[in-house]
Parts: sequence; structure tokens; C-alpha cells
Amino acid sequence: MDTKNIMVAGVGGQGIVLMTGIISQAAARDGYDVKTNDVVGLAQRGGMVWGSVRIGGKIYSPNIPVGEGDILLGMEPLEAYRWSHLMSENSTMVINKKRNYPIPVLLEKEEYPEKDIEKLKEKFNIITLDVEKEAKSVGNIKVANTVMIGVLSKYLHIRTETWKNILKENVPSKAIDENLKAFEIGRNHSNNK
Amino acid sequence: MGCKKKVVLSGNQAIARGFYEGGGRVAASYPGSPTVEILESMKEYDEIYSEFSTNEKVALEVAMGASLYGSRAMASMKHVGMNIAADPLMTFTQTPINGGFVLVSGSDPGMASSQNEQDNRIFGKFASMGILAPGSSQEAKDFVKFALDTSEEFETPILVDISSRTCHSRGIVELDDRVEKEPSGFEIDQEKYCMLPPNTYKAQYFMKERLEKLRQYAYDLPINILEEVDGSDTLIITSGLMYYNLKELNLPVSIYKLGMVYPISTRKVRELSEKYEKIIVLEETMPFIENELKRKGIECEGKRYFSFTKEIHVEDIEEGLFNAGVVKERRLTRVEVIDTVSRPPMFCAGCPHRPIFDILKKSKVKVIGDIGCYSMAVLPGFEAAHTNISMGASVGMIKGMNKAMRQNNDDEPIAAVIGDGTFFHSGLSGFVNLLHQADEEDNMTLIVLDNRTTAMTGGQSNASSGRYNVDDDMDASIKEILNAMGIGRVIEIDQFDYNKIKEIINGELKKKGLSVIIATRPCALRYKIKEPYFYVDPEICIGCRSCVRTNCPPIKMKKYEGIDKLKSSIDPDACVGCSVCAQVCPVNAIKRSK
Repeated sequence: MDTKNIMVAGVGGQGIVLMTGIISQAAARDGYDVKTNDVVGLAQRGGMVWGSVRIGGKIYSPNIPVGEGDILLGMEPLEAYRWSHLMSENSTMVINKKRNYPIPVLLEKEEYPEKDIEKLKEKFNIITLDVEKEAKSVGNIKVANTVMIGVLSKYLHIRTETWKNILKENVPSKAIDENLKAFEIGRNHSNNK
Repeated sequence: MGCKKKVVLSGNQAIARGFYEGGGRVAASYPGSPTVEILESMKEYDEIYSEFSTNEKVALEVAMGASLYGSRAMASMKHVGMNIAADPLMTFTQTPINGGFVLVSGSDPGMASSQNEQDNRIFGKFASMGILAPGSSQEAKDFVKFALDTSEEFETPILVDISSRTCHSRGIVELDDRVEKEPSGFEIDQEKYCMLPPNTYKAQYFMKERLEKLRQYAYDLPINILEEVDGSDTLIITSGLMYYNLKELNLPVSIYKLGMVYPISTRKVRELSEKYEKIIVLEETMPFIENELKRKGIECEGKRYFSFTKEIHVEDIEEGLFNAGVVKERRLTRVEVIDTVSRPPMFCAGCPHRPIFDILKKSKVKVIGDIGCYSMAVLPGFEAAHTNISMGASVGMIKGMNKAMRQNNDDEPIAAVIGDGTFFHSGLSGFVNLLHQADEEDNMTLIVLDNRTTAMTGGQSNASSGRYNVDDDMDASIKEILNAMGIGRVIEIDQFDYNKIKEIINGELKKKGLSVIIATRPCALRYKIKEPYFYVDPEICIGCRSCVRTNCPPIKMKKYEGIDKLKSSIDPDACVGCSVCAQVCPVNAIKRSK
């Protein structure tokens, strides 16, 4: 497989670090070299959090060079838009529908950039879904990230069995079934729904 | 061989693994981004005694004691923690090290989570230590093991300088088994371990000779890697993550990657400088390697092409090397970062700091801030803390400002805030000092935000966590400590009784003398507080935004159907039911669900 550059973006507290962890473990299990990045620290308190995963034959830097991103998982639309400059043309962005409003919007100093987010579809292949709603449908809002990983799994040459094993190893035992269901929902998601 | 177990580890996890494999026995730390996870990962290994100590100085001393006994020891901290630990470090380094001693310090180029960008290597050199710089998880593990061995062989403390990016980045690591190292025990030898004159005289020569031996050893050190390319007239000298970023460019130039960045073998770099026309040094923050080379009379350039601040990315390297004439054609297109709505961090829903800063902001008092989650009171939303310098500084600073104000007949009240973690870390000595030359005309109000955890770094335990956690063995009462010091006016408050605490805080601000207010509500995040959510009745709401100004993530103005004016709203998924918004609402439009 050529190097695949995966970007994960969201808001502090949305479990971005856990997502990059699961993706990297799955890639390593299937024999790929992998490196990840996570922005951790102050931003974890509701700030902008992003991570990246690079998968391939031999990976040197964990950083995705500008314009070389292949797929972006946006747990929040504004955060997906914020990092879109890293993405290559016609790459895929999977974007959660639910908005999380930052301070300038909450205080009515700035408008949430709906138009800019809407325009992303002119340059990228956009897939939208409400991951929290899907997660609630399997009975656990915390598996929202797993729905996202399910969508991602369609774009990588990593075996379904591997994804499922890695999920089992990383989530609490009582939440395994909910996570596996969430993964399937993501994997079977089609944008026409 | 070839069938070693491979796992994905972060740089931090790999450091802990290296310490385990290298026979490490005692590890201590104080939590600070980017190295928090090192000690958290140590907990996995039963063979290692580990603790989050009260501060970095204590952590270093714990590791020092273990090393003196002959056990392999590690202290880990963030770069600014080195400042706290500097006192014991600068003298301990004069002693011949017994059990392998490694100090891991996380740097933060770009300051994602730090108050400054100080370069660890300057400190390491100041303390006459060998300095290693890993750039990947595999190296983080290998270098720690190498550091433990080298520390014992040369009787030197070793600094592992690891950047924030390498701490948090993950990569594949091959695992090895643990090699057990039996401690020799502590043998009394006053000349070695009692740093008083004349023993200290000898120690200066010992350190100098030790460094010289290490410099000789660096000549063909296996962790210093030379990659020569035929026909290259340029040599790039680099270290750590910069090597991996450079490799992304796949350039036909020779590279000398220093695993050990200090001391550098003079003989080696002289030999190399004779072979190459041009030497470029690639390093983040200060020109440390560059200055070391220049000091030896070796012509090179570094900071002329690369920034002295922030992280250096692949694109920055290409641009720098293009300007240096090494790269002929630029491949990477630099796209401007998208300029859109910012997202500063904010207090969590239900954070018990929120009502305090809402009240302080309304009171318009000047507030001396400190380091912790409550540093976020500086940010838009509140802007209700007006200094942010270093751990525990608020207590000494409020006294100095107060005395300066008295001299100047300025009788405006002032306030300071400090959290429980910071109180134990370095607030105690400042508090005792408040009593010295106390004057009845003083007017200082200090608020201790005791949420019973070191929250900003992810909710580690501290000396006051035992109240809510049965697993924690310390439940120190801040009120009793302050009373025992002799501070008489100490008032405990419940932050979620908004009107009452507003009266208390404003009353204490007005009153002369020294007052300490202790806020007692636990951290909503660490203790997973979730009460039934609140909702807004848009028919009652007058749109005054009192609730919005408390700056709580789920509260936002909204357009309701059939109502012209915007009215407040609360996202039920994110609300944890603290009730502060309902209490600031002047018309009782906010109600609890169920």
C-alpha cells in the first residue's frame, strides 16, 4: 500500500487520541509501518484537537505534509474545515453532523462558518453522518468514534477481522458488543441514506 | 531473532518500557505536558516503584536517593519542571553516580501547552550531563536503556531531551525482556556524597574529566549515525525528530544524526568538516549544536535558515535548505493555514472554577493567576486572571504587589488564585511568607481552588485527592495546614451556592487584612460528575445572556420557532447539571429536567 495519510480532527474531550491509537494498532497488526501524532495538553479542555496517522511501507515523520492528506475524519465540522488545507485534492472527508460551538460563537462575536463548511464539497469528497445519533442507536453515546472508524475502514487495506480484534482489545469488556455494532454501522454507511 | 514482539507505543510509553527493560527500579515525576504519560505507563510494571511526587524537585530527589542506593532510577518532568528541580540537580551532578540515573525532560517547541519554550539542552550542559535526543518511539526506548548503562559506566547523570511531538507521537517498537540489575546498596563515602568544601573542589575536576571521557566515547557512538551519500558536498547535522522530518524530503545529501547531542566529539566533527564543503545544522529552538560546533571553530550555518522558535516541519526544512542552496527545486507547496473561527480551550461543563471567575470578573478586581486549569480564566470568555507566570508564583506576587500598593497609598483590593496541586507543589512556602511583616492595612484575598486533583494534566492524584478517592492515600486538609501556619481567616465555600459565595468573595475583597477562601467542589471531569441536565424555558427567558456569559460549553443563544428574539438554550447531552446558569438567571427561566 502507498502511504496513506489520515487526519483526525475534533474538539478536546471527543476521544481523538483513542481514535489515532486504534487506527495505528490496526495498521501495525496487519504489517504496515505506522506513525501518529496527537496534539495533547491544554487543548484537551474543549480546544481544537487533532491527530494524524500515517500508514505505509516505511514512514519517517509522523507529520502529514501540507496538501498530502488522503482522508480526514472530522468529529466536528468546523474542525474538519480548519484542517482541510492539509488535504489533497479530491480526498475524502468524513464529517460528523453535530456542531460544537467555540467561545467566539457562544459569545455571539463571530458566526459559525456554515458557508465555508458547505463549500468543502466543491473540492473534496464529503461524507456526512450524525455519529452521536448512530451511537445512541446502539445504546451508548461513547461509541461515536467507533462509527467513524467503521467508515474509515472502507478506505484502508486492513482486514475487518483486525479492526474488530483491535477494538476488543481497546474498549471496556462490557462495551465490546456496542463497539462492534457501531463499527458495522460506520462500515455500512452510505451517503445516500 | 526476527520474531521479537512489536507493538505501537507513544514516545512516552516507550520511555517507560525502556526503563523497565533496562532494569529500572524507582521512577518519580510531577505531571506536566508533554511527559505525563511516562509515569502513568510505569504503573503497568510491578517491578518498578513509581510515584507522582509533590513537585519536580521532590521527584528528582526521590530518584537521587534510589540511585545513591545503586538502583536504576528515573525522574521525568516537563522542561519548566527542570527549573524547580535545578537546585538538587546542580549539586547531585557533582557526585559520581551509582545506580543508573536518567532525567527525562519534555520540551515544547511551539508551546502547545507551556508558558515558555526554554531549551532543555542548555540546562543539561549547565549541569554537566550527557544529553540524548530520541526522535521516535523506538529510539525513546533504546536511548533510555543506553542512558542507564552509560550513566553507570561514566558515573554521570544523563538527560534525555524529548520533544513534545516525540512524546505524543506513536510508532512501532520492538520489545525486549527486562534485564535485572541488582542494586549495590548505599556505601558511606563522605568524599563522594557530602558536597561541602573541600570535597566540592575535587568534584569540579571529576565533572570535567567525566565530560571529557564522554566526549571521547562520542567519537564512534553507535547512536550517532552517519549516512553518507556519494557526491554530496553538504553535510546536515541534526538530531531527534528533525532527522525524521528531513528524511521525508529524500534528499541526496549526507546526514550526521546525533543520538547524543552533548558532548559532541570534537575529533569526529573535525574529520567530517574536512570532507564537506558545507555543514548545515538542523535543530529546533536554540542553536545549541550549531554553537557547540562554532565553538570548536567549525564553520556551519543553522539558525540562518531555520526558525529559533516553534516546531520545524518538513515544509520549513525544505524552505530552509532551498535558501541554503541545498535544495534546488521546491516540491512542497506551502498552503496558508485556514483563517477561521478560533477555538480556545474553556472550562468544562460543570467546572467548579466557573462561578468563581464569573464573580471575580463582575467584581472587576485585579487577579494574580497561577498555573493549572484555572489558567484558562485568562482566555476570552472570562479574561478574569491578569498574570500567568509559574507554578505557585501567585502567592509571593500578590504579597509583593500589595506591599508596593501600600507604599503608594493605593488601597484597591487584589486577589490571587491557586489550585490544590499547585498549593502543594510550591504554594506552601509562599503562604507562610504572607505572615511575615503582615500589616492591618494589607488587603489580599487568596482563593484556593481545591478540586482535589491535578486537573490540567489529566486528573492525577495529589495530596488532597484522598477525600474522593479511596485508592489515594493522602487527604491533606488545606484549611488545617493554613490554620496551623497561623493564617486565621480561612473560609471554606461551596461554589455551587452562587449567591452566597458572591457575597463572601465580594465581602472579603472589601475587607482589609489577609483572607483565604477555599473552594471545595471536586473536579467535574476527574470525578465524572453528571446530574440531571437543565433546560431553558424560552417563554420565560428575556434574552439577557447572563447564563451565556458564564461561558459554559452547552449554553448558546438560539432561534426558537415562533419567537422573534434569540433566547438561551442548553445542549442536554453536554450539560452535567451544576446549576450555576439557573442561579445567575434573573427570571428563573432555567430549570432542572425530570
